[in-house]
Amino acid sequence: MKQLKELAFAQRAVMSLLLLSSILTGAMIIGQAYFFVTIVDRVFLKDESFQEIVPLLLALLGVLVVRAALTYINGRTGVKMASKAKREFRQSLLAKYARNPVHASLQGQSGQKVSVIMDAVDEIDSYFSRYIPQVIQTSIVPLIILAAAFSQHANTGWIMLITAPFIPLFMIIIGIKTQKKSEEQLEKMAEFSGKFLDTLQGLTTLKLFGRAAKQKELIQKSSLDFREATMQVLKIAFLSSLSLEFISTLSIGMIALEAGLRLVVFENISFFTAFFVLVLAPEFYLSLKELGSAFHTGRGSMGAAKKITEELERTEMAVQWGQVPLKSETPPAIELQGAEFSYGEEGFSLKNINAAIPPYGQIAIVGRSGSGKTTLLHLIAGLTAPTAGNVLVNGQPRAEYNEKDWFDQLSYISQHPYLFSGTIAENIAIGGRTDASRAEVERAAEKAGLAGLIESLENGYDTAVGEAGRGLSGGEKQRVAVARAFLKRPSIILFDEPTTGLDLHTERMLQISMKELAQTSTVITVAHRLHTIKNADVILFLDQGELIAAGTHEELLQSTAGYRKMFSAQRGVAT
Amino acid sequence: MKDIVSVMKLMMKEKKDILISIFFGFLAGIAAVGLFASSGYLIAKSALAPPLYALTILTASLKLFGFVKAVSRYAERYFSHRATFTILSNLRVSFYEKLEPLAPQVFQKYRSGDLLSRIVGDVESLQNFFLRVFYPPVILVIVFLSTIFFTAFYSIYVALILLAGLILTSFVVPSWFAARQRKVDRHVREGRGELSTEVTEFLYGFRDLKIYQKLEGKEQQLMDASTHYIKEQEQEGIYAMFSETVNKVVSFVVSWFVLAAGAFLVTEGQLDGIFLAMLVMISLTVFENAAPMAALPGHFEDSRSAATRLANVVRNEEWEERAQGCLNSQHAPAIDMNGVTFTFPGERREALKNIAIHLPAGSKTAIVGPSGSGKSTLLQLLLKIYPVNEGGIRFDGMSLEQLTQESIWKESNVVLQENHFFFGTIRDNLLLAKDGLTDEEMKAALAKVQLEGFSLSDPVFEKGENLSGGEKQRLAISRAILKGAPLWLMDEPTSSVDALTERFIYDHLFEEAKDATVVLISHRLTGLEKMDQIIVLEQGAIIESGTYDELMAKKGYFYEMKQIEKNVLLHA
Repeated sequence: MKQLKELAFAQRAVMSLLLLSSILTGAMIIGQAYFFVTIVDRVFLKDESFQEIVPLLLALLGVLVVRAALTYINGRTGVKMASKAKREFRQSLLAKYARNPVHASLQGQSGQKVSVIMDAVDEIDSYFSRYIPQVIQTSIVPLIILAAAFSQHANTGWIMLITAPFIPLFMIIIGIKTQKKSEEQLEKMAEFSGKFLDTLQGLTTLKLFGRAAKQKELIQKSSLDFREATMQVLKIAFLSSLSLEFISTLSIGMIALEAGLRLVVFENISFFTAFFVLVLAPEFYLSLKELGSAFHTGRGSMGAAKKITEELERTEMAVQWGQVPLKSETPPAIELQGAEFSYGEEGFSLKNINAAIPPYGQIAIVGRSGSGKTTLLHLIAGLTAPTAGNVLVNGQPRAEYNEKDWFDQLSYISQHPYLFSGTIAENIAIGGRTDASRAEVERAAEKAGLAGLIESLENGYDTAVGEAGRGLSGGEKQRVAVARAFLKRPSIILFDEPTTGLDLHTERMLQISMKELAQTSTVITVAHRLHTIKNADVILFLDQGELIAAGTHEELLQSTAGYRKMFSAQRGVAT
Repeated sequence: MKDIVSVMKLMMKEKKDILISIFFGFLAGIAAVGLFASSGYLIAKSALAPPLYALTILTASLKLFGFVKAVSRYAERYFSHRATFTILSNLRVSFYEKLEPLAPQVFQKYRSGDLLSRIVGDVESLQNFFLRVFYPPVILVIVFLSTIFFTAFYSIYVALILLAGLILTSFVVPSWFAARQRKVDRHVREGRGELSTEVTEFLYGFRDLKIYQKLEGKEQQLMDASTHYIKEQEQEGIYAMFSETVNKVVSFVVSWFVLAAGAFLVTEGQLDGIFLAMLVMISLTVFENAAPMAALPGHFEDSRSAATRLANVVRNEEWEERAQGCLNSQHAPAIDMNGVTFTFPGERREALKNIAIHLPAGSKTAIVGPSGSGKSTLLQLLLKIYPVNEGGIRFDGMSLEQLTQESIWKESNVVLQENHFFFGTIRDNLLLAKDGLTDEEMKAALAKVQLEGFSLSDPVFEKGENLSGGEKQRLAISRAILKGAPLWLMDEPTSSVDALTERFIYDHLFEEAKDATVVLISHRLTGLEKMDQIIVLEQGAIIESGTYDELMAKKGYFYEMKQIEKNVLLHA
């Protein structure tokens, strides 16, 4: 993955540190071999006394400790580099998602995005913490060992040089050969391993049908099938390390044999030289083999990196804002001028919408599901930008206004208001322009018909709700959203009217509340209730993203066949 | 600890593969030691200008050791991994055996699917217990002991130093780190939980955050949580590196001592110099087996907490079925609820308050009310998923307490809001209903829910992901029709089906259930005219009940709900 590599090499200081520690590691390996061999040589052949070799022993101890310390530094640097990369990736994902118009975030992909920002970023870790340090180490340490071998006994160096390429070569050959096979097996493996989760998830159903006992054998069977499929893949992996093992053993054997022959038969190298190259040889091949395992861990990260890059490269049209202040006591006039919206390959969800929304207007958006009602609401709200045409506010494009001023005027009451983890009071206060006092929050709750419920709770306004707190029913959440609006007293209210499932109390409260809020603001409602529709000044009737007609209920009943049809169907079913 | 012991017992079922892998693991380890020992000896011997045949023999043994090492390593890997996957299978079966009797009540506690996948993940992480926790020390100890035994022939001091090294690297250092690992793990987990909450709120609450201009603040909170989490991960990573380094230092230092002691003994004339190189090579090689010990504390902690979590899922649920009674089969039951009150475990608010209803055999009852009013809870009580707190439920005069869950379920066609479909085909999923169903019967059942378009061999993905919400509901109804039991319990079975299809399905369903007792929870108030009884719930209490005409005439809660519904555009 190119980006990952670039990101790693961009951290120059870290790279230099890794480089330095790798060079030192190489030096320590040489030093270790040198002192080991010298000590054995002096004691064994040169009959030196113990006192004479004490300095050598101490030097060796130093080399060993430094070598271990270098491993630590190398690993630590990798970990730190991974932290930095993860932070950067998460930051750019977040920046991306924050710019992201609401439309994209409502495509039901929120769960997937959570997984990208949490898991995919975490999976990047091993690339930086393991793979990169190992790559640097492997590109340096063998070279140093090779140089040391050449300097002492050129033949050993030649053997190393000739045999070394076989290791990556075999890795590649086996990798190519196994790739297809393991991909086939992977699918099977996923299927078998999913069986257990599937059974657990369906346990209630199984029990209700009296089928739970039988599943035991099925779990066992699918698990054992999983084992067979996995072993197929693993066997190949093991076989590949077996052949690498053979290559390195064979090569070390050659080095030993050559050195032995020189030492014994030709007597043209010393014991020191022969022992020295023999100690170095395994270190040389070990370092090469380690790259293989590091590569394995690095590959997992690359898949994750691909997922992240895909997210980052997805183009979104950010909503533009300007500097013009928007401050007035009366609601602004809003006008849609040939506004269009299309998203990705799905084609148009809104086509050429022209409509005027006067101050204090009561607007209802009506249409079948999928006709673009919510998208239109988002467009008016400034949550998405039109792909063509314009949204005018007091005659000027909305994009020229100051973002904060605009949203200060606005409340949005959705069908499923989100509760943040915190207290009920905090969840209402989030709607306010500034830090609202407790008295103001209570007044807003009162108006939204929440006061009774909240007082019945043990902790009252301080009851924890949201993720970690008490669940609220749909009706209760709706009333929290209304309370937010009462606290804010906006001049524009966007209201996605609930369909069904509300209790009578909420239904009544909603009607009363919306009536009161409407006295001081423009209200644009995605309407599902006849009384809302009948009371609207203007109804925007949408069909497949097009504005078919605009007018009052009576006007549309007269003029528009599609609208009429919708209402006659209503009467047909709702007996 | 107790929980991990039970995992170990389960693991021991695979004795054969375990013993084979230990054998080959030992062989590979000892061959490596032999390989380097003989190479050290070879080179020392060569220095003394020995006869060539001695060298030939040594070189041959070198090759042999190398070959044995490589092949044994392969065999070891093969058998140990095979054992691991067999253990996984045993773990799954054994956990399923424990969990199965507790379903479905145990799932009420774990409503989110996320927890279920964590259970699966925990079971999977336990497969590593053998490979990463149990196995490395066993190999390490056997290889070490044999090596120590061998070196004792040459120098008892060197053998003792190696023994000290064994104790240090495989027991002292890992247990020292294991004690701290738990804390590190906990911090990382907490950090992750915190970040996960922030990310979820950021993405799911995006629109509200944007409107209320709290997005920037949330972004900052999220980045703070991320920084904190990364910091904890970093600590964990550095800690792991540290543990690895300490292990390495110990093994280096031990080898150094071997060299120093060996050199001293040689100069003192107590050890033949020719063995010095060999002993040092042995020491360096044998500690390679100790490398996995550095990662052991982490894996141990993983396994331990996974085992504990799993045990907790099944431990605290003591569902003992004391009932013996069975429901009379093939006959529609009459149901009575008398003063039933119910509170969910761990909650204060009563979910149902003093419910009294009478459902005659063969009667058709609808339960309506706003979301959260306790409709589904009532159905769960009828299915004996929960025991009632107060009052009693009777089926044909028999107390529910005396009836087994199985006998109730056997006599019920249950359609829930969310019905599970398994990976397989439509046929597989329908065959769950009853043994010996013919294709014709299944096709007829599909037609009754207007799913004629489906072929029985059409694939169904996990959780029915390739089906729409309405299709899933209709498939669930056809499955219930096939079961043909005399009691129907349905929880908003057609909430995702359009009104016309709903009417068609209900017409067939009530024909099918002519003689059965039917309880239907309905979100819509249409088509209830023919019901014998409508019960209106709000906040866990019955507000009204009666026939459609009675309730409409009364102009109470039901009437008002009806007025609102008439007011709601069904197609919009």
